[in-house]
Amino acid sequence: MGGLPAYAQTAARTARTPDGKPNLNGIWQVLTTANWDLLGHAAAAGPMVPLGAIGAMPAGQGVVDGEEIPYKPEALAKKKENFANRLTLDPEVKCYLPGVPRATYMPFPFQIVQTPQYILISYEYANAVRTIYMKDPGPSPIDSWMGQSVGHWEGDTLVVDVTGLNDQSWFDRAGDFHSDALHVVERYTPRGADAIMYEATIEDKNVFTKPWKISMPIYRRLEKNVQLMEFKCVEFVEELMYGKYRKQPAKP
Amino acid sequence: MNSRCLTIVCLAATLVQAQTDPRKAAPAKAGPYVPPRTADGQPDLQGIWNNATITTLERPPALAGKAFFTPAEAAAFEKTTALQNNRDQRGPDGATDVAGAYNQAWFDRGTKVVGTLRTSLIVDPPDGKIPYNETAQKRLAAAADYARAHPADGPENLTLQDRCLVWATAGPPMLPGPYNDNYQIFQGPGYVAIVVEMIHDVRIIPTDGRPHLPSSVRLWSGDSRGHWEGNTLVVETTNFNGKAHFRGSTEKMRLIERFTRTAADTLTYEFTVDDPATFSKPWSASIPMERSEGPIYEYACHEGNYAVPGILAGARVQEKKSSGGAGK
Repeated sequence: MGGLPAYAQTAARTARTPDGKPNLNGIWQVLTTANWDLLGHAAAAGPMVPLGAIGAMPAGQGVVDGEEIPYKPEALAKKKENFANRLTLDPEVKCYLPGVPRATYMPFPFQIVQTPQYILISYEYANAVRTIYMKDPGPSPIDSWMGQSVGHWEGDTLVVDVTGLNDQSWFDRAGDFHSDALHVVERYTPRGADAIMYEATIEDKNVFTKPWKISMPIYRRLEKNVQLMEFKCVEFVEELMYGKYRKQPAKP
Repeated sequence: MNSRCLTIVCLAATLVQAQTDPRKAAPAKAGPYVPPRTADGQPDLQGIWNNATITTLERPPALAGKAFFTPAEAAAFEKTTALQNNRDQRGPDGATDVAGAYNQAWFDRGTKVVGTLRTSLIVDPPDGKIPYNETAQKRLAAAADYARAHPADGPENLTLQDRCLVWATAGPPMLPGPYNDNYQIFQGPGYVAIVVEMIHDVRIIPTDGRPHLPSSVRLWSGDSRGHWEGNTLVVETTNFNGKAHFRGSTEKMRLIERFTRTAADTLTYEFTVDDPATFSKPWSASIPMERSEGPIYEYACHEGNYAVPGILAGARVQEKKSSGGAGK
């Protein structure tokens, strides 16, 4: 089996699933710096001096339409406070589940497994996972980190309505946040076999004055035999979170 | 509710592992059941499946020499187990309460033995026991001694499930546990995905004939490759990192799993574990998985982990209290 990876061959040959829908199966990844800051930003030093250039923030163009997040005044103050205290407050620091839409643009790949009834998205980061129900099961019975996703097709666009999100996740490392009133509508529109144009409209009456939108492309990972690996990061944060309770301090 | 922190009870519960209605389940090789196919022609294993049972992995010592229950014995065993699981577990003092005052209301481990009425999930060897070799027995005894001497020096002394790293029952191989015994299978072109409710693990198993990862790359859940043998999905998993040490095994463990739909609502799951560094011979188990309505909810284990800081901080307080005496 030489040449292109199997997923790429599949994609090139059949852009559609047997039921005629665009075929989103495969391993995908975003290449923006949205996880650092949804808004456009110059490069900057990171929060940890010993990490030097490794820990610096890469520059990036913004992904927010209009380049403005419409915070209520008090919410904007909280975002700034979040950023100032990001080393203790950003849920990513503690390896917590990323929520939606942050899961999409974490710097890790994710895999889509598409069936007519369900579309699974398995994210490499922290084993995060969500199942998109193509038949609405009714209101989400409980809030969760990854929420409840209900999808439908509008032409070749997969539209996903995400509710039932808790207030614990952030949008990025810049302290952008939301409440449990968050409602996200995602749109996945294939652009050829190897890219998906992604949009997410974000609505949260407790935090924002009006809905706002982010957009970015998602690219297919085309490496031969590409597969999701493990990023079980809980192990990497135990010293940070529990080190103070050790009998003896850990050896450096 | 942080049900994960019930680990002390959970560990006990794994000894009395769980299950669904059994007497309806057909044995693995019984039927000419032909599963439906997916649109691209694979045998269709999709759906939500539950493997809860009170039949334990190993045969309980009290049943030594008895491979199968009679139906009457099975009913009696189910009744006794239910009583035992539901009894008031509160202890004589507050400390006991905190450590284990949980009854069946906390769990979802099933109420039935497996349909074959076998007295263990292990089908080979015939005695229903894991065939540990001598080296492994010594290694595990030493590890147990160490654990007793260092119950909570730091997070690494706690169980992997206390730490929300991996669950002993989430696999691979996938075993019935005290709760969250649900699995959802999705099939795509060239891979089968299994969402494991326990700590939201996802296994994505390529079936396109690709090679394993290089042996230098080791993963908690190993590296799985699948292929179809008739209507059976056969999965080989290697490249374990050895830290999850399933039943005391090492990173050399090689696991073969077989998924076969044996009835419309039954998926028979069989696995064989081979690790010459731990077992004197390979051993195998068979577990029926019954179709479940679902849905599967999120189990955010780490995010609600109050157990690890609680256990460690508690140990430090105890040391401080007793330091007047021995002064460790």
